[in-house]
Amino acid sequence: MKVIKEAIAGTLESSDLLVKVAPSDKGTREIVIRSEVIKRFGKQIRNVVNDVLDKLSVSDGSIVIEDKGALDCVIRARVQAAVLRACGSEELDWGTLS
Amino acid sequence: MNATGDFYTVQPKDAPAEMEEVRKLLAANDLELDDQIEVFAVCRRQGRLVACAGLDHYTIKCVAVAEDTRGESLSLRLGSEVVKLAAERGAFHLFLYSAPHNLPFFRGWGFYPLIEVPQRVVLMENSPVAIERYCDSLRAQRRPGRKIGGIVLNANPFTLGHRYLVERAARACDWLHVFVVKEDASLFSYADRFALVAAGVKGIDNLTLYPGSDYIISRATFPGYFLKEKTIIDHSWAAIDLLLFREYIAPALGITHRYVGTEPFDSVTNNYNADMKLWLEHAASAAPPITVVEVTRATIRGIPISATEVRRLLAQRDFGKTAALVPATTQQFLESKFPVAASNTQMKGQIA
Repeated sequence: MKVIKEAIAGTLESSDLLVKVAPSDKGTREIVIRSEVIKRFGKQIRNVVNDVLDKLSVSDGSIVIEDKGALDCVIRARVQAAVLRACGSEELDWGTLS
Repeated sequence: MNATGDFYTVQPKDAPAEMEEVRKLLAANDLELDDQIEVFAVCRRQGRLVACAGLDHYTIKCVAVAEDTRGESLSLRLGSEVVKLAAERGAFHLFLYSAPHNLPFFRGWGFYPLIEVPQRVVLMENSPVAIERYCDSLRAQRRPGRKIGGIVLNANPFTLGHRYLVERAARACDWLHVFVVKEDASLFSYADRFALVAAGVKGIDNLTLYPGSDYIISRATFPGYFLKEKTIIDHSWAAIDLLLFREYIAPALGITHRYVGTEPFDSVTNNYNADMKLWLEHAASAAPPITVVEVTRATIRGIPISATEVRRLLAQRDFGKTAALVPATTQQFLESKFPVAASNTQMKGQIA
């Protein structure tokens, strides 16, 4: 999927995260993660984000994450929602996300 | 109603009574209501207004939470609400003004400090990397030389005075970087202004022309610039714009000198020129000082050329007189864009 516009998903509240997705002119995926638990879970969060982006075939775009200690399933859901909005996508092949 | 309270939005122009409550909440937090705010996100709990955050285009201001409701998650919900509100209005890259002592609070909203005027105000943006990415794109345009100039033009529209300033600066420098103010808040659209500058500076070879950005004389960095006739300008706002230039833009491009025309007519721009010397040259800063060079305005028959005058003549469709003040490229544009045949009174209304 191609990121064609800016989009956000999530909140700044505890146990949630805010995901900001924007088109990038560099043709690469740029992921920036800020988290209150970056030292303990930074790698794990990045793995989850990368996995979602791989499954949605997002190869370029800027993804900025403000994490407030969200669980993996929440991270997945928020990243999916932000990416789908940013790609202007109405239909989704749920199978690819499993 | 949930335990936190009800969150909703208020448009200042539609709700004078409610704005009185907002004003009181702000006053209790040593803040004044900013009349540029288009919409507020507010929280009401048991009938009482307990939190507010204002949005002026893509800048968040006037954020307050009643003292007795602090220490809960209310403020984070407020932050989420105002960010969502901005997104619904198409604004994603956001700025925020805060008192310096509240900086840690807004870090929790995902905002990062850009520039601080000590003891007064801090400008933040909602990305930890956006300014660096912008500076990276500028760094790719660096040119060698010992004297590197910078000019920021609104060019509303481009006149022979602008041409004179750019020529003088280009001649004095090894290379000149020229920025066009991006904000669409002037009589001429950004696209038109940019095209006229591009046409007007043709033939000057040691120059790079840049599209404007949110970091150079924008609603975020210098809101007062776009309110010229209306208000007295808060000097700290010009300081923010100038310190951004000094600490980020100039170092990225190696700019050593900033050129500006003297301003005989417009007091906002005149103040800006005075502030320029203060904040670019004299104020304490981690970045090296930038020399401000004020170039005396070009004159025609003793009268300084100004875009303000061109707009005044344009309102009267006096193309005979505008021709003396603008290059041929701008003149052609004016004559095609403002036909004399058009309803004169209607157009005058728009320009005034």
